[in-house]
Amino acid sequence: MSSVASTARGTSYNTFLLVPILLFFGLLTIAVVRSPNLMTSSGIGSAEIVVAPLILSTYALMATALAGRATVDLSIGPLIGFINVTLIQIHTAGVISSPIAVFAYALFAGVAYQIVFGLIVLWVRVQPIIVSLSGYLALSGINLVILPRPGGSAPEWMANWGSGTTIFSPSIIMVAIATVGWLIFSTTAFYGHLRLMGSDERAAYTSGVRIGVVRIGAHVVCGLFAGLAALAFTGLISSGDPTQGTTYTLIAVTALVLGGTSLAGGRATVFGSLLGALNLFLIGYVLSTFDFGSVQGFVTDLCYGLILVLSLLLTVALPYLQRWLRHVSPLLVFVVLGLLFIGVALHATFDYATLAPHAGAASAPAPDRASGNQDNAAPPRLPPLDPGAFAPVLEQVQEGPGFARSLLSTRASQLAVLLLAIVITLRLMVWQAGKRRMTPLLYAAIGVGGLLGVWLLMDTGVFVAKLGR
Amino acid sequence: MADSPLFAPLTAPVVRPLRWIGLALAALIAAIGAGFGFAQGAPTQYVIFTTAATFTLTLWLWNGFFVRWIAETSLLSRAAAERAGRQISARAALRGFISGNKGVLAGLAILIVGFIILSLTLTGFLTWANLVTALFLAASLVFTTVTSRAFGDNRSAFIGLMVLGTMFIVASLHVQGFFSGANIKSMLVFAAFLGIATVGQTLVALLGGLDLSIPFLIGSSNVGLLYLIGLGIPSPIAVILALVVGTAIGFLNGLLSFPLQGQALIVTLGVGFATSGLTQILTSIGSSFAGNVFGEVPKWLSNFAAMNGVTFGIAIPPVIFVWIAVAIALIFGLKNTVYGRYLYALGGNRTSAQRIRISERRYWYGVFTISGFSSALTGSLLLGWSGGGFIGVGDPYLFTTLAAVVIGGTSLLGGHGGYGFTVIGVLVLQVLTAFLVGIGLKFEWQQFIYGLLILPMVALYARSPHIRTQI
Repeated sequence: MSSVASTARGTSYNTFLLVPILLFFGLLTIAVVRSPNLMTSSGIGSAEIVVAPLILSTYALMATALAGRATVDLSIGPLIGFINVTLIQIHTAGVISSPIAVFAYALFAGVAYQIVFGLIVLWVRVQPIIVSLSGYLALSGINLVILPRPGGSAPEWMANWGSGTTIFSPSIIMVAIATVGWLIFSTTAFYGHLRLMGSDERAAYTSGVRIGVVRIGAHVVCGLFAGLAALAFTGLISSGDPTQGTTYTLIAVTALVLGGTSLAGGRATVFGSLLGALNLFLIGYVLSTFDFGSVQGFVTDLCYGLILVLSLLLTVALPYLQRWLRHVSPLLVFVVLGLLFIGVALHATFDYATLAPHAGAASAPAPDRASGNQDNAAPPRLPPLDPGAFAPVLEQVQEGPGFARSLLSTRASQLAVLLLAIVITLRLMVWQAGKRRMTPLLYAAIGVGGLLGVWLLMDTGVFVAKLGR
Repeated sequence: MADSPLFAPLTAPVVRPLRWIGLALAALIAAIGAGFGFAQGAPTQYVIFTTAATFTLTLWLWNGFFVRWIAETSLLSRAAAERAGRQISARAALRGFISGNKGVLAGLAILIVGFIILSLTLTGFLTWANLVTALFLAASLVFTTVTSRAFGDNRSAFIGLMVLGTMFIVASLHVQGFFSGANIKSMLVFAAFLGIATVGQTLVALLGGLDLSIPFLIGSSNVGLLYLIGLGIPSPIAVILALVVGTAIGFLNGLLSFPLQGQALIVTLGVGFATSGLTQILTSIGSSFAGNVFGEVPKWLSNFAAMNGVTFGIAIPPVIFVWIAVAIALIFGLKNTVYGRYLYALGGNRTSAQRIRISERRYWYGVFTISGFSSALTGSLLLGWSGGGFIGVGDPYLFTTLAAVVIGGTSLLGGHGGYGFTVIGVLVLQVLTAFLVGIGLKFEWQQFIYGLLILPMVALYARSPHIRTQI
């Protein structure tokens, strides 16, 4: 949908990011309300090791999708699986074990495969989707030959990657390096050539861009990300698995599209892909906090499909909303919603027990939010999308008789945060929106209203109870 | 070409010996055939008939294609150069020959190198049967590439047919009982399922889209139909109901993906996920075995699609006839009706099709609706074949419908191809699968070879021109 970007004349270029941003905060809010322990150190830690391979494989797809000719690499999932199983087999044979060798092997394997892919597209001149389909079938077959059933073990230094107890796990560092790497990459002239080739290959050719070199370069970048994704995946499962990797194809392509990347080429942002991958993870996570009994997996399928279609339709509606959205900057929306979310998260995860030190008076505990939450929020189960173990510890939200008394101080502290947020937001809005002074106020009003609404509903327990049943 | 003034006088003396060689070759082949026939003690009239047929066929192929090719390609350029007064050195001629036949030479090289490597690494690989197969493959490769130049638009169909014939002969050589009525019938039944499922994908591809909801719709209609029958609804009405719902979902696909044509792939995937989830929720309510539906498949449906089905006394399941009827109707319809021609017009160039007032929207909705219908039909037929509902029954169709369309030679960018091409693609896939199963390969090796073969098959004809020729 190139019309989305082109109709936003003179204003925000990345308007298409609005949909993933809105979806992201919507899902994040529900996730935190439903299961506050997502916001603990171990909650974030285990979430990010699950999501890291997905983010990295979405980045890998993004690099080739930019190159145009509808280069959606369907073989990315089997490629991750291939690197995983070969790595495990080579390690089991005792050939490589040091971190440098393992990283070098994974990156080399990814790049080598992608270079072959690129050369076939260049020389044989078959549609890239055929090459990727061919690679999908061939690799997913050979993976089963190399490692017939899940097993083996990752190198020792990789063993604790999958525990997910800290926020700064190696997986997330890889994601951070990849993101920063892409941002640096996007300032180079090569990136400009890549985008030009993606949007119009003929124009690029006639203006002297060496399209062969550029295309191979895109595949090299894709291969690097694929290698990193395979490492993150290996860290997640700490063993070899010939079939799990294959599932990344569909979710990574979906994440790519959710993030606003044009499959026709020429338009992709690292921020969008990141949000797309996070959104997909959150959909699975939120659904896993509800208990649908035996039809859990089917409800997940249903919601997954519906959200996919709806967010794509929103992308279509975007040009029509441009009249009102012209002065909305995605950055601003991100900041506003981010603050809103921080408010919700603070409230949901606030440890009220610390404010209620006096456990003397034996008054009956009020049926407050905390106990309601404890009853209704089922322990989040394994999101069906995501491979690997994911077992967040349900944090016990303690309740105390002094709750009512402490509420005052809680409210006061939250009010302070709120005021601070409003001030910062207003300043940002004025900075971003230029002359239109009325619009920021409107947003501020909506933001505060939303925050208060969620807060009140949660306090009365209505929100949690209704969602729970 | 042969009647062009530049061409006729010069090539006559060269072509004449070629014709004699052809005659000798045909006689030789016919004599070998006759010798084998008598040695095996076949009835005399059979031997005479086969010998005559072999002789005529060989001569016809030789004269029609090989002689013409030699005359057209290698002599024409030389004639033009000599006419212009330039001398062509032997090296230049060789270089010209190589650059004109890069594909064939590369294919031959890969074949020979592969054969040598396999013979050296696998013990017991170097047998007479394998040697004959390799030689046959090489000859077939040269023949196909060379003669296909004489075909214009139908080149991919010709190549597809040649690949089909080659594979069939190779499979018959290697697999006991491959060339038997029972095996051909079973291949045709599977081909019919795939063929009916691919109807929608072909039409959608002609418009330049892709429908990934097909496997989910197949699974959903499979489970849903059994559920409906289990509720006590008379089976014909249940089938009609399943088909109507499938058609409606196909229409929904079209409706949602029309504004998002670049991402039709993802929209249909989303709709597919939602449909399959919803179907399973509906069929699982009140059941202790979530995701499974138990029930009795009606006799007529089983007879319709099962291997031992009977059509009006003929021991062939009706599904094969249905597929043949559908194929004839579609091939004829796409070529000769206004709807079919407009579909090609839209696929070829949207803007110019709109200029002659063809409604893009209506055709987009139409092909997706047909796709939904054909998927639901496949799901219902598969219920008759398997006798039990299973949501995952459609899963293999995700990539095989795509592969059949592509192998047949229908362009995924729209405007070129047709259902006739897809039929060839379906048959090629089916024979290949049956062959790989027949020689006892395990599933993972099958998939591996399957993946490696798609690329060269497509590369035979679906190569896009170099960018410098597109400006």
